[in-house]
Amino acid sequence: MKGWVVLACAAFLAVPLAAQSVRGRLEGRIPSEAIPPVDSLIQFASQEGLPTEPLIQKALEGGAKHAAAPRIVAAVQVSLGQLRDARDVLVRAGDQPPVLPAEMTTVAWALRRGLPAPVVERVVAAVTRPPRAAAMHAVADLVAHRFDPDSAAGLIIEAVRDGVPQERLLDVSTAVLQQVQRGYTRAEALAIVRRGLPNLPAPSKPTRGSVAGARRPSSPAPP
Amino acid sequence: MNVIDPRIHQALDGELAAEAVPADLRRTVAQLAAAADLLAAVPGPAVSVESRVMAAIRRPAPSPARRAMRWLVTPRAIILRVRPAWSVAFAAVVAALTLFTADHEGPVLAEHEGIAQFVGRFPEAQSVHAVGTFNDWRPGSIALEDQDHDGVWRATVVLPAGTYEYMFVVDGERWVPDHLAERLVADEFGRENSIVIVRPARR
Repeated sequence: MKGWVVLACAAFLAVPLAAQSVRGRLEGRIPSEAIPPVDSLIQFASQEGLPTEPLIQKALEGGAKHAAAPRIVAAVQVSLGQLRDARDVLVRAGDQPPVLPAEMTTVAWALRRGLPAPVVERVVAAVTRPPRAAAMHAVADLVAHRFDPDSAAGLIIEAVRDGVPQERLLDVSTAVLQQVQRGYTRAEALAIVRRGLPNLPAPSKPTRGSVAGARRPSSPAPP
Repeated sequence: MNVIDPRIHQALDGELAAEAVPADLRRTVAQLAAAADLLAAVPGPAVSVESRVMAAIRRPAPSPARRAMRWLVTPRAIILRVRPAWSVAFAAVVAALTLFTADHEGPVLAEHEGIAQFVGRFPEAQSVHAVGTFNDWRPGSIALEDQDHDGVWRATVVLPAGTYEYMFVVDGERWVPDHLAERLVADEFGRENSIVIVRPARR
């Protein structure tokens, strides 16, 4: 009984605290008149179990790009709609609610990159184990290069079934694009890579020189 | 006193053709002509050994630079005596040093971190920053550099593995998509963001 009381209190306090932290991130970064509506949209998302970070990022992006308050609110609203669409796609494809926030973000990205919802559903249904980001981006990369979405999804799904690890799915699309660069048609490129599955060329790794020169981002400048 | 037939003189001087010389004189003319050729071919008086030695002594000594160069280019035999134990120890030290420095080159990446490389060509720019979801869209944390002043700006940064949207901010005010990025997405503000996927470096 005591535990339930503590949990209820924590939940009761957590929502206002989270809201406060969101406002804290937005203050000084977006026009002050945009903060209440953006904050409301973020609260809606939170209540619906949608990820809130993409909405905060969209608002911060608008502020950084000096967009007017109504434009920022509209952009956040569009992003909220995309996340709802993504959740619906995931549920339709078979994911059990509550859907993982990271998967909603991934699917929202895939939809924004131009993948038709039925193709996304196909990939979700085929790649049962999250994270699906690599699979989605691999298909989207091919579609961005004017591959037929169904054929692109078909290849990536086949790669998954052939045992290609998820972290190497982007190498599948890269291999296809390399074949196109060599002069093969899109259909030929897909067929060549499909025949070679699950074998793929070794992924290009950052050179020792580039790793040595890498640095962590410095602390952001104050607003 | 022997008097030389004047026709011999004329023949030797080329005033009389060889056919015009009587047969009994032709042999004498030929012998004299051969003797003259022989005398003409004899070299001048030979240089004495003494004078050659003295000339060599008087020649100035080569400069230190020339002597050093001569020493460098002259082939020499070197005898190298190797103790296998020392050689193995030396090789082990070199290998250890190589591994040690390789491990400490650049930042140590955590399991879920990767490398992102940003490259853009902005010949007239004074500053270029990568700004995106990896730094809360705050300019200033990822500055690109143009070290050789060729107009190509670069930055290599360590980021947590994931997918990020970003743009370049040139000279603090101009927002430009990364034209080299293969992934672009509408930003809802009338522009396009570039997408970078950072894959974990340790796989």
